[in-house]
Amino acid sequence: MKTTSFWKEFTKGIVISNPLFVLVLGLCPALAVSTSVDNALGMSIGVTFVLLGSNIIISAIRKIIPNMVRIPIFIVIIATFVTIVNLVFHAYVPSLYESLGIYLPLIVVNCIILGRAEAFASKNPLLHSIADALGISIGFMLALLIISFLRETLGTGSLSIFGARLFTLPILGEHPMAIFVLPPGAFLLMGLLLALLRRLGVIKSE
Amino acid sequence: MKTTLKKIFPVIFVTVIVFMAVALLSWTNSITKDKIEFQEEQQIQSMLGEMFPDMSRYAFEDDIYTIYSDEAQLGYAFLALGKGYGGSINILVGLENETTIKGISIISQSETPGLGARIGGSSFVGEFTGLSIDDVALKQDGGQIDAITGATISSGAVVDAVKATAVERVKSLQEKE
Repeated sequence: MKTTSFWKEFTKGIVISNPLFVLVLGLCPALAVSTSVDNALGMSIGVTFVLLGSNIIISAIRKIIPNMVRIPIFIVIIATFVTIVNLVFHAYVPSLYESLGIYLPLIVVNCIILGRAEAFASKNPLLHSIADALGISIGFMLALLIISFLRETLGTGSLSIFGARLFTLPILGEHPMAIFVLPPGAFLLMGLLLALLRRLGVIKSE
Repeated sequence: MKTTLKKIFPVIFVTVIVFMAVALLSWTNSITKDKIEFQEEQQIQSMLGEMFPDMSRYAFEDDIYTIYSDEAQLGYAFLALGKGYGGSINILVGLENETTIKGISIISQSETPGLGARIGGSSFVGEFTGLSIDDVALKQDGGQIDAITGATISSGAVVDAVKATAVERVKSLQEKE
């Protein structure tokens, strides 16, 4: 019984309540950093760490948090983890820290994380909260990878991961559709992807 | 007694959580501090190399980097701190001699992406190259620098920081001579 519900909480975040494609939460940091696959990976790792950390702590102390100060408590916990991510990225992966820029500290106000704290971790046991955090993070990462893959390949005509050039497309390599790496391209692509996923029935409309 | 305890419990709880957060953060900071300083030094070194392509070594004394090639002194560089729209802006300023700017680079900034953040772009930074320190001011104030449209505060912050720090550093250079 326990393992099945653990599995259920885990898989739920990946497809049926995917944070970006279904819940459509946290769009600002997602669309801003999805210009390259590297950035998307870095952002996802940051979000995973923060979400896992905050879900674990909040779930562990959920029974003693006074109700009227719960939101400030959540924010303090989330901000602590975000600052840790910030310091660690700055120290060990400075190039990623540079390219994520202001969006890394902005994970604090990412509604996915506060949303999971309020809607899930503060009401559910520890193990389920861990499953929920992992599932949502993987869903976030997959969605971000799809968007950033399309934006990088269409917008620059080539794909490189960790500085290594993987491939260059024949015609697009010389005449890339630069709009896709610009902000309007992010909205355009996000809209098209949502429409496609709905058409394919991956996302059910209510 | 019970009700007062109930009333102050949230206060105690928040205080405890905040103290724990502070402890955790200062511990992380103590681990990462040296590494971050090292990274920043590396960054400044590579920026100095770009600004002075012939640089072979530099010396740092009294907040001023003195840049040398193998045989001659190439110029000076120093850090300037601007107060931008979204926080502080760290700028590296290179001087060719005591009156002329060699170039500037933005080390770090947290201005609005798409607006103020364009102070890091080459078109804005490039405007400082070769300017006399006296001409470092926005055009609206009688200088030579075009402010970025929609980002006058950020542009002005860079200009003010570069000018004020340059004047100060040049003064201390002249005093030393």
